[in-house]
Amino acid sequence: MEGRKELLVGTVIVFAIAVAVVGTLWLQGTNFGNPTTQVDVLLESVGQLSEGNPVTYRGVGIGQVSSIDVEPGGQVVRVGLLIRRSVELPADAGVVLGPESLFGDWQAEIVSRESFPRFDFFDVPIGSSADVIGGYALPEITRLTASAEQISDNLADLTERMELAFNQETANNLATAIANIEAITQEVRTLVQQQGVIASNITSNADSALTEIELAASAARRSFERVDGVLAAAEIDSLIVDLHAAASGIRNLADDLSDDSTGVSATLTRADSAFVRVDRLAARLESGEGSLGRLLTDTTFAVRAESMLLSLDMLLQDVRENPRRYVRLSIF
Amino acid sequence: MSIELVNVHKSFGEKKVLRGFSLVIENGQTMSIIGASGSGKSVTLKHVIGLLRPDVGEVWVDGENVARLDQASVYRVRRKVGFVFQFAALFDSMTIAENVGMGLERMETFSEAEIRDRVESCLQRVDLGGYGNRMPSELSGGQRKRVGLARAIATEPDYILYDEPTTGLDPITKAVIDELIMRMADDLGVTGVVITHDMESAFRISDRIAMLHEGKNRVEGTPSEIRANEDPVVKAFIEGRPELLETA
Amino acid sequence: MHRSLAPVHAIGHGALRSVAAVGRAGYLGMDAVRALRKVKLWGPHLLSQMTRVGVESVPIALFIATFTGVVLALQASYTFTGAMPLYFVGTLVGKTMILELGPVLTGLALSGRVGANIAAELGTMRVTEQIDALEALAYDPVAYLVVPRVLAGAIMFPMVVVLANALGILAGWGTSLALLDMSSPEFLKGLRLFFEPWDVQFSVIKSISFGVTVTAVGCAFGFHTSGGAAGVGRATTQAVVISSMIILVLDAFWAATLLQ
Repeated sequence: MEGRKELLVGTVIVFAIAVAVVGTLWLQGTNFGNPTTQVDVLLESVGQLSEGNPVTYRGVGIGQVSSIDVEPGGQVVRVGLLIRRSVELPADAGVVLGPESLFGDWQAEIVSRESFPRFDFFDVPIGSSADVIGGYALPEITRLTASAEQISDNLADLTERMELAFNQETANNLATAIANIEAITQEVRTLVQQQGVIASNITSNADSALTEIELAASAARRSFERVDGVLAAAEIDSLIVDLHAAASGIRNLADDLSDDSTGVSATLTRADSAFVRVDRLAARLESGEGSLGRLLTDTTFAVRAESMLLSLDMLLQDVRENPRRYVRLSIF
Repeated sequence: MSIELVNVHKSFGEKKVLRGFSLVIENGQTMSIIGASGSGKSVTLKHVIGLLRPDVGEVWVDGENVARLDQASVYRVRRKVGFVFQFAALFDSMTIAENVGMGLERMETFSEAEIRDRVESCLQRVDLGGYGNRMPSELSGGQRKRVGLARAIATEPDYILYDEPTTGLDPITKAVIDELIMRMADDLGVTGVVITHDMESAFRISDRIAMLHEGKNRVEGTPSEIRANEDPVVKAFIEGRPELLETA
Repeated sequence: MHRSLAPVHAIGHGALRSVAAVGRAGYLGMDAVRALRKVKLWGPHLLSQMTRVGVESVPIALFIATFTGVVLALQASYTFTGAMPLYFVGTLVGKTMILELGPVLTGLALSGRVGANIAAELGTMRVTEQIDALEALAYDPVAYLVVPRVLAGAIMFPMVVVLANALGILAGWGTSLALLDMSSPEFLKGLRLFFEPWDVQFSVIKSISFGVTVTAVGCAFGFHTSGGAAGVGRATTQAVVISSMIILVLDAFWAATLLQ
């Protein structure tokens, strides 16, 4: 009787402890018995990568990130990857760090550098052992917004100029600014397309959003291209139409983004209301209230444009300071 | 070597049960404490082994004041005292033998074989030899009381306290129990304190009788002295005549 | 006493009784801590109490966990459909099972099974003077009766809860495969996504506190039973009600203090 009890109690205890220990290790993703090998990755920064994130090769999970340390000197980060020994890596292997899904978890993807010529893989010092690979961390959303910030700066510049008299030099400046917007948009677009190869599921929306930016930018460009002509012929109507299109393009973009993730929508709403003001302004001009000359001297326009830019700035700053709010949805 | 209660007071909430009860029980005597139900007889007995502590007063057992002892010393005193509970209070998850052996086991001085032998001899003493492997639920009320007695004497205590040992038993079993109580005193020289309201058995087994009434020691004496007592309270009780109380 | 004062009187009476009960429980707790020294008294009973409190509770705990796991998976998929990737079913089942439902549901079920059992047993021993008999035989009843039960609760509850957690997750997994068009890798991905080893430790800490609560409350009410069979019934009911309430309060307490 006593012996039987001992056996039962012992069984329950041993079994429970085994379940707790083995279960914990298993859920942490520990490989039992599978031979693994360590590969080190050197790069400048790791973005949002953390220990335990998956390592993939051609979309297949082959291991996990086991360590992340800053190298002595502080210039380089060394990321340790524990991967299945049976996987044969490409000769020109590089590691791309990037988001695994919309929900913010990152992964380390082993790629052939040949397929991603645009990526600036870290140059591994000559003489390092064979299992040290150069890596590249995809720009985070903060980087993308930095480009947008440049756009905003240009627009601010623009408004400032509008407050002054319109002259040929200003027109030229405008043209340059618009060209900048276009160039930046193009750059961002390429970047997103590159990311799309890595994680196509999250970028389709961003992609269409960028198309919107591009459309808006080209509409704006057309508006401002006419500035030259305006100065001579006062083709107000067509300028306004284009300005209108530009504003609505930006609003569409805002709508698209707010559909994607609830976290962004509050800030976007703020920005959006600024866009609405521009839109309304355009409508006012359309209805014949005032002339371009009045518009240019109208300080309220300048103030409103300022406030729009301020909102945009706040959005960008917020995104930069709290990238996780926009990247990781809070579920638990 | 005696039990001595000095001016013991004990209240439970508003209810004053003992109000200055004093009693001396000499070594080797069998003392019966009689009194109506609820007069505090069981409470008195529980004071002797420190299950209850008096609000005021002293309880001397073997020269130690149980009322003032720390817990460890109280346990030491308890080992010298056997307690026979009213309804036997056998541990119903244990066999009869295990019940009887509990006290011996606690002393930690006996081997298993010694305990087995002593348990069997105690059971034989209460005429229940061979019942060791039964469970308490298989026994009649009288048999259980006898097991309770066997459990109390197993450790060869100097004192045995009996809480209503014959209440609710048939006359034959009652006589058997009385016989046993007397045997304990004669054979083992045990000092006994018996709580009862069964006058017949009190007169039979006691060397002395005390009556507890309204929290105090109303009267004390040998059985013949008690029988001759003219106090209406005492007379009413021992003769079972409540009408005497009204005249008092 | 004036009739209009009756409610005030009742409140005062209730308050005094509660304070008295807390005081008694406190004394019992202190006695129990002191009685830990008396290994010779409680040691021999620990094993059978572990069997009663732990081993015999495994079936009911596993039964509850199984159905909890199934329901969690179904509800998670119902909630997430369209809004979130389905692999979050794994996350929800794992997190909820380990952090909350495993320990709490097991605790509540065992407060009925173990707590009531202890209260009834000790209550009966009290009203039939068996506890007095222990004292008379120089056994410290706290060391003899209370300590092995509470220790058994503290040791065995976490074991039972770990098993319940595991089975609950397995049941959720099975449900995901059988009823929810999910694949094992999907479920496991969700399960692992936010898993922290701390979750398991938290679950264990919580269940130790529940184990102590259920057994200690059962002992306290059983130990201080009075009033015959009706008293035993009352003690049993109170033990279950009070320990269930303490479990829920402790649950909130641990969540507030340990899940930062």
